[in-house]
Amino acid sequence: MTLGASQVRNDVRERRVAKGLSQADLAQRLDVSRQTINSIETDRYTPSLPLAIAIARFFGVTVEEIFHADHN
Amino acid sequence: MQTTTKTSRKYLATPIFGVAMGVAYLVALSVAGQPVWGVLALAVMVAFSGALLLARRRSETVKGLLDHRDERISAIDLRATAITALALIAVILVAFVVQIARGQSGWPYSMLGFVGGVTYVVTVICLRIRG
Repeated sequence: MTLGASQVRNDVRERRVAKGLSQADLAQRLDVSRQTINSIETDRYTPSLPLAIAIARFFGVTVEEIFHADHN
Repeated sequence: MQTTTKTSRKYLATPIFGVAMGVAYLVALSVAGQPVWGVLALAVMVAFSGALLLARRRSETVKGLLDHRDERISAIDLRATAITALALIAVILVAFVVQIARGQSGWPYSMLGFVGGVTYVVTVICLRIRG
Protein backbone atom coordinates (compact mmCIF):
# COMPACT_ATOMS: atom_id res chain seq x y z
CA MET A 1 0.00 0.00 0.00
CA THR A 2 1.34 3.41 -0.96
CA LEU A 3 0.15 6.52 0.82
CA GLY A 4 0.58 9.94 -0.76
CA ALA A 5 1.02 13.14 1.19
CA SER A 6 -2.67 13.99 0.90
CA GLN A 7 -3.62 10.64 2.44
CA VAL A 8 -1.79 11.29 5.71
CA ARG A 9 -3.48 13.83 7.96
CA ASN A 10 -2.01 15.15 11.18
CA ASP A 11 -2.81 17.17 14.27
CA VAL A 12 0.50 19.02 14.43
CA ARG A 13 -1.05 22.48 14.09
CA GLU A 14 -3.63 21.87 16.82
CA ARG A 15 -1.06 20.47 19.24
CA ARG A 16 1.42 23.24 18.47
CA VAL A 17 -1.15 25.97 19.04
CA ALA A 18 -2.26 24.25 22.25
CA LYS A 19 1.32 24.49 23.49
CA GLY A 20 1.46 28.16 22.57
CA LEU A 21 4.27 27.68 20.08
CA SER A 22 4.81 29.37 16.75
CA GLN A 23 5.86 27.44 13.67
CA ALA A 24 9.31 28.94 14.03
CA ASP A 25 9.51 27.76 17.66
CA LEU A 26 8.58 24.21 16.73
CA ALA A 27 10.93 24.26 13.76
CA GLN A 28 13.79 25.31 16.01
CA ARG A 29 13.00 22.57 18.53
CA LEU A 30 12.91 19.93 15.79
CA ASP A 31 15.90 21.30 13.87
CA VAL A 32 13.97 21.82 10.63
CA SER A 33 12.88 24.89 8.70
CA ARG A 34 9.68 26.82 9.45
CA GLN A 35 8.54 26.07 5.91
CA THR A 36 8.81 22.37 6.64
CA ILE A 37 6.55 22.71 9.69
CA ASN A 38 4.05 24.69 7.61
CA SER A 39 4.11 22.07 4.85
CA ILE A 40 3.53 19.28 7.35
CA GLU A 41 0.66 21.13 9.02
CA THR A 42 -1.05 21.76 5.69
CA ASP A 43 -0.59 18.12 4.60
CA ARG A 44 1.61 19.15 1.69
CA TYR A 45 4.58 17.22 3.01
CA THR A 46 4.65 13.88 4.80
CA PRO A 47 7.65 13.76 7.12
CA SER A 48 10.09 10.89 7.22
CA LEU A 49 9.68 8.30 9.96
CA PRO A 50 12.52 9.79 12.08
CA LEU A 51 10.97 13.26 11.89
CA ALA A 52 7.48 11.90 12.56
CA ILE A 53 8.83 10.14 15.65
CA ALA A 54 10.62 13.32 16.74
CA ILE A 55 7.37 15.28 16.38
CA ALA A 56 5.41 12.66 18.30
CA ARG A 57 8.00 12.55 21.08
CA PHE A 58 8.02 16.33 21.30
CA PHE A 59 4.28 16.35 21.93
CA GLY A 60 4.48 13.30 24.20
CA VAL A 61 2.27 11.09 22.07
CA THR A 62 2.71 8.16 19.70
CA VAL A 63 3.11 8.67 15.98
CA GLU A 64 -0.32 7.18 15.31
CA GLU A 65 -1.92 9.63 17.70
CA ILE A 66 -0.68 12.58 15.70
CA PHE A 67 -0.50 11.19 12.15
CA HIS A 68 -3.56 9.56 10.64
CA ALA A 69 -3.31 7.50 7.47
CA ASP A 70 -6.48 7.35 5.40
CA HIS A 71 -6.79 3.73 4.32
CA ASN A 72 -9.37 3.28 1.55
CA MET B 1 17.04 12.34 17.18
CA GLN B 2 18.77 13.55 14.02
CA THR B 3 16.26 14.70 11.43
CA THR B 4 18.55 17.09 9.59
CA THR B 5 20.73 15.64 6.86
CA LYS B 6 23.30 18.44 6.91
CA THR B 7 23.79 20.67 9.90
CA SER B 8 27.33 21.87 9.34
CA ARG B 9 27.87 25.42 8.25
CA LYS B 10 28.95 24.82 4.70
CA TYR B 11 27.03 27.72 3.23
CA LEU B 12 30.18 29.17 1.71
CA ALA B 13 30.90 26.04 -0.34
CA THR B 14 28.61 26.89 -3.27
CA PRO B 15 29.62 30.58 -3.51
CA ILE B 16 33.29 29.61 -3.30
CA PHE B 17 32.74 27.01 -6.02
CA GLY B 18 31.05 29.70 -8.12
CA VAL B 19 34.00 32.06 -7.73
CA ALA B 20 36.44 29.22 -8.44
CA MET B 21 34.58 28.48 -11.67
CA GLY B 22 34.76 32.17 -12.52
CA VAL B 23 38.54 32.05 -12.07
CA ALA B 24 38.65 28.95 -14.26
CA TYR B 25 36.69 30.80 -16.95
CA LEU B 26 39.11 33.73 -16.66
CA VAL B 27 42.14 31.48 -17.08
CA ALA B 28 40.58 29.51 -19.94
CA LEU B 29 39.47 32.61 -21.84
CA SER B 30 42.83 34.29 -21.20
CA VAL B 31 44.61 31.27 -22.64
CA ALA B 32 42.24 31.50 -25.61
CA GLY B 33 43.26 35.15 -26.07
CA GLN B 34 40.03 36.66 -24.78
CA PRO B 35 40.93 38.08 -21.35
CA VAL B 36 38.18 40.70 -21.43
CA TRP B 37 35.53 38.02 -21.75
CA GLY B 38 37.33 36.14 -18.98
CA VAL B 39 37.07 39.10 -16.63
CA LEU B 40 33.41 39.48 -17.55
CA ALA B 41 32.76 35.79 -16.86
CA LEU B 42 34.51 36.07 -13.51
CA ALA B 43 32.47 39.16 -12.64
CA VAL B 44 29.25 37.30 -13.46
CA MET B 45 30.22 34.37 -11.25
CA VAL B 46 31.27 36.66 -8.38
CA ALA B 47 27.97 38.52 -8.68
CA PHE B 48 26.06 35.22 -8.72
CA SER B 49 27.91 34.01 -5.62
CA GLY B 50 27.29 37.30 -3.86
CA ALA B 51 23.60 37.17 -4.77
CA LEU B 52 23.39 33.70 -3.26
CA LEU B 53 24.87 34.92 0.02
CA LEU B 54 22.49 37.88 0.11
CA ALA B 55 19.49 35.69 -0.74
CA ARG B 56 20.47 33.34 2.08
CA ARG B 57 19.67 36.09 4.58
CA ARG B 58 16.14 36.58 3.25
CA SER B 59 15.09 33.20 1.92
CA GLU B 60 14.68 30.14 4.11
CA THR B 61 14.83 27.97 1.00
CA VAL B 62 18.16 29.43 -0.17
CA LYS B 63 19.47 29.19 3.37
CA GLY B 64 18.36 25.57 3.46
CA LEU B 65 20.01 24.76 0.15
CA LEU B 66 23.28 26.44 1.11
CA ASP B 67 23.58 25.69 4.77
CA HIS B 68 21.01 24.29 7.13
CA ARG B 69 19.42 21.53 5.09
CA ASP B 70 16.48 19.61 6.50
CA GLU B 71 14.85 16.55 4.95
CA ARG B 72 12.23 18.49 2.97
CA ILE B 73 14.81 20.80 1.42
CA SER B 74 16.92 17.74 0.61
CA ALA B 75 13.91 16.12 -1.09
CA ILE B 76 13.26 19.30 -3.06
CA ASP B 77 16.92 19.46 -4.06
CA LEU B 78 16.83 15.80 -5.14
CA ARG B 79 13.70 16.28 -7.26
CA ALA B 80 15.05 19.46 -8.83
CA THR B 81 18.28 17.65 -9.67
CA ALA B 82 16.34 14.77 -11.24
CA ILE B 83 14.23 17.15 -13.34
CA THR B 84 17.39 18.98 -14.39
CA ALA B 85 18.90 15.66 -15.45
CA LEU B 86 15.77 14.81 -17.46
CA ALA B 87 15.97 18.15 -19.25
CA LEU B 88 19.65 17.55 -20.07
CA ILE B 89 18.91 14.02 -21.30
CA ALA B 90 16.18 15.37 -23.58
CA VAL B 91 18.52 18.00 -25.00
CA ILE B 92 21.30 15.45 -25.52
CA LEU B 93 18.98 12.98 -27.28
CA VAL B 94 17.45 15.62 -29.55
CA ALA B 95 20.86 17.09 -30.38
CA PHE B 96 22.23 13.61 -31.11
CA VAL B 97 19.33 12.77 -33.45
CA VAL B 98 19.66 16.11 -35.24
CA GLN B 99 23.41 15.58 -35.69
CA ILE B 100 23.12 12.09 -37.15
CA ALA B 101 20.26 13.26 -39.38
CA ARG B 102 22.71 15.80 -40.79
CA GLY B 103 25.15 13.01 -41.52
CA GLN B 104 27.47 13.92 -38.64
CA SER B 105 28.95 11.58 -36.07
CA GLY B 106 26.81 12.68 -33.15
CA TRP B 107 29.87 13.67 -31.11
CA PRO B 108 29.96 14.85 -28.32
CA TYR B 109 26.30 14.08 -27.64
CA SER B 110 26.84 10.35 -28.12
CA MET B 111 29.51 10.38 -25.42
CA LEU B 112 27.38 12.50 -23.08
CA GLY B 113 24.47 10.11 -23.54
CA PHE B 114 26.75 7.12 -22.97
CA VAL B 115 28.14 8.61 -19.74
CA GLY B 116 24.63 9.46 -18.54
CA GLY B 117 23.27 6.02 -19.31
CA VAL B 118 26.17 4.18 -17.68
CA THR B 119 26.00 6.44 -14.63
CA TYR B 120 22.28 5.72 -14.24
CA VAL B 121 22.68 1.95 -14.53
CA VAL B 122 25.66 1.83 -12.14
CA THR B 123 23.85 4.04 -9.64
CA VAL B 124 20.72 1.86 -9.72
CA ILE B 125 22.83 -1.26 -9.18
CA CYS B 126 24.78 0.32 -6.29
CA LEU B 127 21.66 1.65 -4.59
CA ARG B 128 19.91 -1.70 -5.13
CA ILE B 129 22.79 -3.53 -3.44
CA ARG B 130 22.76 -1.07 -0.52
CA GLY B 131 19.06 -1.76 -0.08
